[in-house]
Order: sequence, then structure tokens, then C-alpha cells
Amino acid sequence: MRHRLLILSLLFVLIPVAQAAEQLRVAGSTTVLPIVAEAAKYFRQQHPGLSLTVSGGGSGVGVANIDRGLIEIGMASRDLTATEKQRFQGKVKQVAIARDAVAVAVSKAVYEAGVTQLSLAQIAAIYRGEIKNWQQVGGPDSRILVIDKEASRGTRHVFARAVLGSERARAPGATIITGSNNEEQTVIANSDKAIGMLSHAWLNDAVRAVAVGEAGAAVLPTLATVADGSYPIQRQLNLLLPQRGGKMSIAFVGFLLSAQGQQIVQQVGYLPVH
Amino acid sequence: MNRSQISKIIIVGLALPALLLPGVCLAYILFKGLPALSWSFLFSATEGLGFGATSGVLAQLLGSLLLALLASLVATPFALGTALYYRLLASKRQQALLAGLLNMLQSIPPVVFGLFGLIVFVHLLQWGVSLLSGAIILAMVILPMLVLNSIASLERIPGQYTEAAQSLGLHHGAVIGRVWLVQAWPGILTGQLLGVARALSETAPILFTATVFSGVVWPESIFSPVTTLQTHIFYLAQEGSNPQVIQVAWGSAVVLLGLVAAFALLARYLANRYENPQHLGAER
Amino acid sequence: MLKFWLTFSSLTTAIIILAVLGFLLQASWPLMQSQGLSFVTGTEWYPYEQLYGMLPVLVGSFWSIVLALLLAVPTGLAAAILCAELLPERGRAALRFSMELMAGIPSVVYGLLGLWLLLPLLESQFDLLTGRSLLAAGLLLALMILPTIMVFSESALRAVVTEQRETALLLGLDWPTRLLRLLLPQAWPGIRVAILLALGRAMGETVAVMLVVGSMDRLPQPLYNLLQPAQTLTSRVGREMAEAVVGSVHWAALISSGLALALVAMLLSLLTQRWRS
Repeated sequence: MRHRLLILSLLFVLIPVAQAAEQLRVAGSTTVLPIVAEAAKYFRQQHPGLSLTVSGGGSGVGVANIDRGLIEIGMASRDLTATEKQRFQGKVKQVAIARDAVAVAVSKAVYEAGVTQLSLAQIAAIYRGEIKNWQQVGGPDSRILVIDKEASRGTRHVFARAVLGSERARAPGATIITGSNNEEQTVIANSDKAIGMLSHAWLNDAVRAVAVGEAGAAVLPTLATVADGSYPIQRQLNLLLPQRGGKMSIAFVGFLLSAQGQQIVQQVGYLPVH
Repeated sequence: MNRSQISKIIIVGLALPALLLPGVCLAYILFKGLPALSWSFLFSATEGLGFGATSGVLAQLLGSLLLALLASLVATPFALGTALYYRLLASKRQQALLAGLLNMLQSIPPVVFGLFGLIVFVHLLQWGVSLLSGAIILAMVILPMLVLNSIASLERIPGQYTEAAQSLGLHHGAVIGRVWLVQAWPGILTGQLLGVARALSETAPILFTATVFSGVVWPESIFSPVTTLQTHIFYLAQEGSNPQVIQVAWGSAVVLLGLVAAFALLARYLANRYENPQHLGAER
Repeated sequence: MLKFWLTFSSLTTAIIILAVLGFLLQASWPLMQSQGLSFVTGTEWYPYEQLYGMLPVLVGSFWSIVLALLLAVPTGLAAAILCAELLPERGRAALRFSMELMAGIPSVVYGLLGLWLLLPLLESQFDLLTGRSLLAAGLLLALMILPTIMVFSESALRAVVTEQRETALLLGLDWPTRLLRLLLPQAWPGIRVAILLALGRAMGETVAVMLVVGSMDRLPQPLYNLLQPAQTLTSRVGREMAEAVVGSVHWAALISSGLALALVAMLLSLLTQRWRS
């Protein structure tokens, strides 16, 4: 008993009770997460005394937590909405660090059966529940597993605005709701009849992007089509920080916008802003 | 075949899942997770690209242990105090009331304490998502079981010990210190160990109140967030897609299971060793 | 000093209960204010449009719990009978140990099992678009509450006094009759307590359910369709808590789910204690 208490109090002593001097907490969009996580590795090496934590949760979490003062930097894969801008007036600023396409992703089996292009109207009809079978869009005879995202997710805002007309539009055709890019990617990869919305950096052999647009004029999501603006569902990836951010937050954002930071952006698979 | 045999067969048939599933679950977890284990998996800290595919779980291991031990440290004085009050000062009615309240506290789902902690510790007291918030929330989760365990082990002390001590003119403090704690410590310690095991297995209450995904190996202060095995498994399970990441999730599950089992088995060993109260005192 | 410590600690239990109820009630007040009590029967949950209907999650929680109990009670009870009445001492110890082991597996690990073992199995067995469903949640919960039911029922069965068993044996009653007429009725008060405890556990389980239920805020169609993705009280809290704005109606709505859980759990606990005494 006594020994144990001794050991426990020793442990306790090892953790200072005071607030850490330099703390930088980043949370939010899982689309932005890979950039920040990678950049954090380098930034920690440059600033050894700094405690820099990174966690996901989605753009909604980034926005809500910067509002609550729980984090120093928020990540959002969408622009702030009108209401949010109003609330944050003069308090929070938004800094774009990369550009990205929201791909309309389908399972490999669907892609290989011939669904390589969908018009915005067709995608909308699928999400509204008007098209329920892949056959109706030139695919195999199987039901469609329609993956929607949690309403607060940045990817969903961007997708819903481009496809359904409003960032808050409902998707009555949805079969299942997922959260992060990874979660959605997993569901699409494990299924042979799924369609979903996904940052294009998450595409792989099992998760294929269809070209978006009318037949003949459809555009694939690539860095080039994002750069020239021809791909219709694209967005900025943003960091949110208080108007009077701390020294370290500003330095970190500066690092991301530097040549080295922008190179990381490219490595992870997004389009640099500079 | 007679009625008796048929009914026995039915019982066995119905019970079959209970006979098979524990083994199946454990075997599947070990089958998936053991290949991931290695020295570097256990003793290196995660620093991977966002989703920790290639790295170890040292940080998570430390975080889980810290949270659970700290929770037990916070809860112990209150648990012991409550148990002693129950045995020493409480009237019959107070005992009944206290037992009722303890049962009630125990019945509240852990996630509710998470919500409470989010409101009070994280926001109201401005502790943020931190080790401290999580430890106190977990302390609340394990408090009733610690109390009930301590009461049970105090009750196992033979009455004549107490009477003898009291007839020697010892006051309350001395009775507690020289007789009760000497006699009951293995039982109380068993309860503590089980409490730590329980705190190690809770995920929901610390998900928004104490943990982040990555970036912490050893928390800078009690106001810093930690990473834990539980939440690590959760994030990887939910978000991991490539096989390597899933492998890390299963590996972490085996580590967590091993940790819980270690505390539970230690508790069991203590309980068995000191089961007979007559032998107590002599050990120390 | 000593007295003060003891008295103060003994009050912590009551203080915690009151504080939890008080703060949750206060935090869920904005919901009551803006929606009255109509949110209980609302069928649509869409925070952006200020719709906070609770019916879909209530139905989801109800089905997942009922399903878990329907599966776990017969199995757990049968295992308890087997353990208490039929097995020799060594087999009994082994079964009890395996149940303790099962109870010791953390819920997030059950979630992992559900995600990677159960879902693919369901998808192939029922030819589903996705295995994420109330059925998956119910099956997983059944697994998690099985030990509770088994262990408590077994103690109840073993507590039935030997004298009565011997009398029944002398009367020449055969085993099934003794089981149905004597053992189960005598042990019933203990068994129903076991069921209530399991129900409480199933109701509050969060992470495992959250991983397999599909998070679809929609009433099952038809209402008894268990093969569709759905949402439960706890899984919604787990999904959305981090992103709700503090003090908003959305936040209040999520907190009120927690409050509802706490209240029901405490009612169950009161009932358990009445049945016990």
C-alpha cells in the first residue's frame, strides 16, 4: 500500500501541475489533418520546447473548438458559413493553405462495370433517392450504397452546395452516414456498390473517382483540373486562428505557407496555394 | 430418451454460444493482434503520417496508465472515507441510504459522466481537454465500485478484533489505523486494482474530455491532453482503411487487453492469497 | 479531522449525483425552452434546420436493447443453469472464468470485433448494402451483456436452499419439473435483477454501438426493420458532441439525451433495489 502510494506520487511529481508554457493544439478537418500532421513533425524539430497536438473530428469540430477556445488552430476543409463569419467577426481569421477537389468516388467494381462518368444531375438524383440502381446510370444491376457524411463535415458542405444546390441540403437517398475521409474510404473500398464524396487525395485502386459532367465534357478530379478551375466540386483547405493568435500559431501557419510547407501540401496530394 | 435428458440437451444447446463465444472472441483478437506485437511496437512512440501505421504505441500505453492510475488516486481517499463512514459512523438508516445512492451512482452510464465533465471541467472550469478532466471523470466512474469493495473487505474483519481494540480504549482513529487497515488492506487493494482495470477499459467518457489523436508522449502538465490505447483503437477502427493501420488497431487491442488482464489477475491473486482473514496481520 | 474526512467523503456520492443531474438539466434547458416537449415525438433530426426530433434514436435504442436482451437472456440463463446445476466443479470454474474474461474485454475492442468480424458476416448472410444496422448493434450488445446475465443468474440459482432441492428430489420430481417448478421460480427475483442490470449496461453502451450502427438519423422503415442503418441515443451523442456549439440548442439536445439516459438508469437502479430487498 505504502509503496504503491509512493510510486503514484512519484508519477504525479513527474507531471507539472502548471499550464505548459508553449502549447499549440490543432484539431478539425480530417482532410487537412495529413498536411498538418506531417508539417507538425518538422515544426516540432524546429521548436523542441513546444507541445503540439493534432487531432481530427471534422471541420465542424475545428470551428466549434476554436469558438470555445479549446484549441489554438482549427482546421476546416470548407469556407466559413455566413452565420459563422458573423459570429467570428473580428475574432477569428481564415487562412487558406491548399486547394483540393471533392471527388465523387465509387467502388472499384462499379467503375470497372462502366460507370466512369456521371453528370451533376445524375449524382443529385442518386443522393435524392430518385436513382436507386446502378443500371439506371449505365452500371451493373445492383442497388446503390449511397454514403452521406455527417452534416457538419466540410466535404459535405462543399459537395452539397455543388451537387444539391445548398450546403445544408438533405440527402434523402442516403443509405449510411460516415464521418472522416478515412471512414468513408473504408466503406467504399469494402463494398462493391458504393458511391461517396471524398477528398481526391484519398482515392486509390479500390476507390475510384468518376469524371463529373455531361458525357463528352466530363472532368476528372486532378491537380490540373483544380488548378484551371474546370473541375466543378473544389474548395480551399483552411486554417482558423484567433485574430490575435499567439506567436507559435502564427509561426506554424507561416511555416505551412512557406516553400517547405507548400511542398508538404503537394506531397500529401493537394494543390499548393502559392 | 426421457424428458430429463431432452431438457438437458436443450439447456446445453441454448448455452452453446456462451460456451463458445468467449474463446472465439479471445482467439480472434489474439490471432489478429499478436502478429503486430514487437519490442518496437510497445516501446516506441507514434510519429506517423496522421494515422500511425508504422509506429509504436508507447505514448498510448503511458496515457492509458496515467489516466487510470490518476483516477484511482483521486477516487481512493473518497472511497476509503465513505467506506469507513459506512462502518464506523453511519446509522442503519444512513447505511441503507448510502448503499442506495452508491448503487444509483454505479448505474449511471459512463458516457453521462463524460458529458458532465465536458460541461463542468472542460468548459466551466476551463481545464480544457486534459489529463485532469479525464482522471476526475474516470474517478467518478470507478468510485462506487471502490467503495462497495472497501465496505465488503471491512465487513470481513471479525467483530471481536474491533471489540478487543475498542475495549483497550482505542479511539476511532486508532481502530481504523491499527486494526482495520492492517486487516483489510489486501481487500481494499484488490478493489483498487479492479478499479484501475475498469478505468482502463472505459472509452466513451474520455473521448471528448481527455484525449487527442497524436502529438503527446508524456503530458506537459495535468492540463495537457493525452493519447490512450482505448481512443487510439477507436480512431483507428473508425478511420483506418489500409491493412497496416488495422493491424496497429488489433495490436493495440491486445496490449490493452493484456493491461486490463494484468491488473485483474493481480487483484485475483491478492484476493486468493489473503482470502482467509485469520492469516492477515501476520503478513506484515 | 478524521470525522470531517469520513463525513465529507460519504457525502461525495450524493453530491456527484446531484451535480450530474443539476448541470445536465441546466445545460439541456435551451432545448426545453425552444422546443417545449415536442422534440420527444419529432421524427426529424436536422440541427441546421432547428429540427431536434428524438423519436428515431428512441426507436433505435429501444430495438437494439430489446434485441440484445432477447438474444442474451435465454443464452445467459441456460449457461447459468448449466453452471449451477449440471457441470462438475471444474467445468463450473472454467465457465465462470471465461465469463469473467468476456466481461473484462473493453467495449472498444468489442467495437473492433463488430466492425471487422460481424459486419462482413452480416453483409454476406443477409445480402445487405451495408452490415451497419440495428441488428449488428443488438448482436454486439448481446455479447457484451451476456456475462452480466450469466453471473448474476448463476448466483441466484445457487442461492436456492438445499433443503428444498432435497424435498423435491424425495417427491420423485424429474429434473425439468424441478427446474421449472422450484429452481426458476425461487431464483426469479435474482434473475430479474440480472436482467435489469444488463439492460442498464446495454442502454449506456456507447463506442461499440457507435462503430456498427451506421449513424442514420431516420426512423426504420417499416418500424421493425432491423437491417437498416440507424442511430441510438448514445451513438448520436458520441458522433456529434464534439462539434456542437456550447450553449446552442444542438448542444442542449445532445446533453438532454445524456440526461434522459441518467434518469432512466437511476429509475432502473431504484427498481433493482426494491426487487433485491
